[in-house]
Amino acid sequence: MTFLTLYWLLLKATLSSFSGLAALPVMRNDLVLHTHLITDRELNTAVAIGRITPGPKGLYIVSAGYYAAGTEGVFAAWLAIITPALLVIPLLQFAAKRTKDPRVQRTLRAVVLASAGISLSATLPLGADALQSPAAWAFAIASLGLLVFTKIDTTVVVLGCALINVALLVH
Amino acid sequence: MPSLARLSFIFFRIGNFTFGGGAPTTAALQRELVANRHWLSEEDFALSYALARVTPGTNLFAFCTAAAWQMRGWQGAISALVVASVPACAITWAITAGFDRFSSNVWIAAGIAGALASSAGILVASFWLLVRPALTAGNRLRATVIVLASIALSFWLQLAPIPVLAIAAVAGWFWPERSA
Repeated sequence: MTFLTLYWLLLKATLSSFSGLAALPVMRNDLVLHTHLITDRELNTAVAIGRITPGPKGLYIVSAGYYAAGTEGVFAAWLAIITPALLVIPLLQFAAKRTKDPRVQRTLRAVVLASAGISLSATLPLGADALQSPAAWAFAIASLGLLVFTKIDTTVVVLGCALINVALLVH
Repeated sequence: MPSLARLSFIFFRIGNFTFGGGAPTTAALQRELVANRHWLSEEDFALSYALARVTPGTNLFAFCTAAAWQMRGWQGAISALVVASVPACAITWAITAGFDRFSSNVWIAAGIAGALASSAGILVASFWLLVRPALTAGNRLRATVIVLASIALSFWLQLAPIPVLAIAAVAGWFWPERSA
């Protein structure tokens, strides 16, 4: 398998999705069933890794790329992830000229509201999974309060919770 | 307007140190770029956010590209895309390469558990920070209906994001807002 073929397979998967794990069926079809580059177990591991790494969950494609072709696969996956993002610029150039129209403005605001609802509902399982102990609830509530009512940096809040949980393990 | 270095540093920091997926990361960026630093207006944020949601691929990277493009043009867009994606990909690569060792390390597991619990709080905060600007006098019912309908359609009816966004766009186009 050449670098370009792998890049194309991964790009096809990323282009077929609009969020999170939506590219998974295409990935499985191409990488597991047709080309046998990775196994189902490796794909599942890649998804699990995507959940615990920082950044978007879509980074499981990088893990899948690694299982498929090592370092070269990681590079192909990175390119496949960033390529579609550039499509937003022509969209932005097209839309920016029309944002003075009040109907366009209120449509955009409605899309943002719906996106907030979609994000909340899509991540409810994550919350249920992460909040399994009183300490976890305390971290979640403290993070919520700090982010809404203070200007403390988000990174500090996240890293603080991680370090406190490690410290709790010591005691 | 921020310098390229300062802008890139924000995308590097938030893009690579926020756990829980694209939603909390976007919310953290909204907090830093709109609320705390005023580098991006609410309108420009809404435009970037809405278009990133309908761009194929990873929404977060499309959002980073769009937001940075609005602030610093192509230079900003490319820089934000690279600094937000390369370290996170490198971390993913490293964890994949040593997954068996990482997954059985209790210290790392505890750190990740703390970060994920924090992300659950960030998710709720991000939801509130996104919805709050729309809850203006006279528009609360409109905003509430759109949010609740999108939750119902995506969570209970399992509708994919694009149809839900399309329905919201139609509702937004035809349901006028009241001026404050």
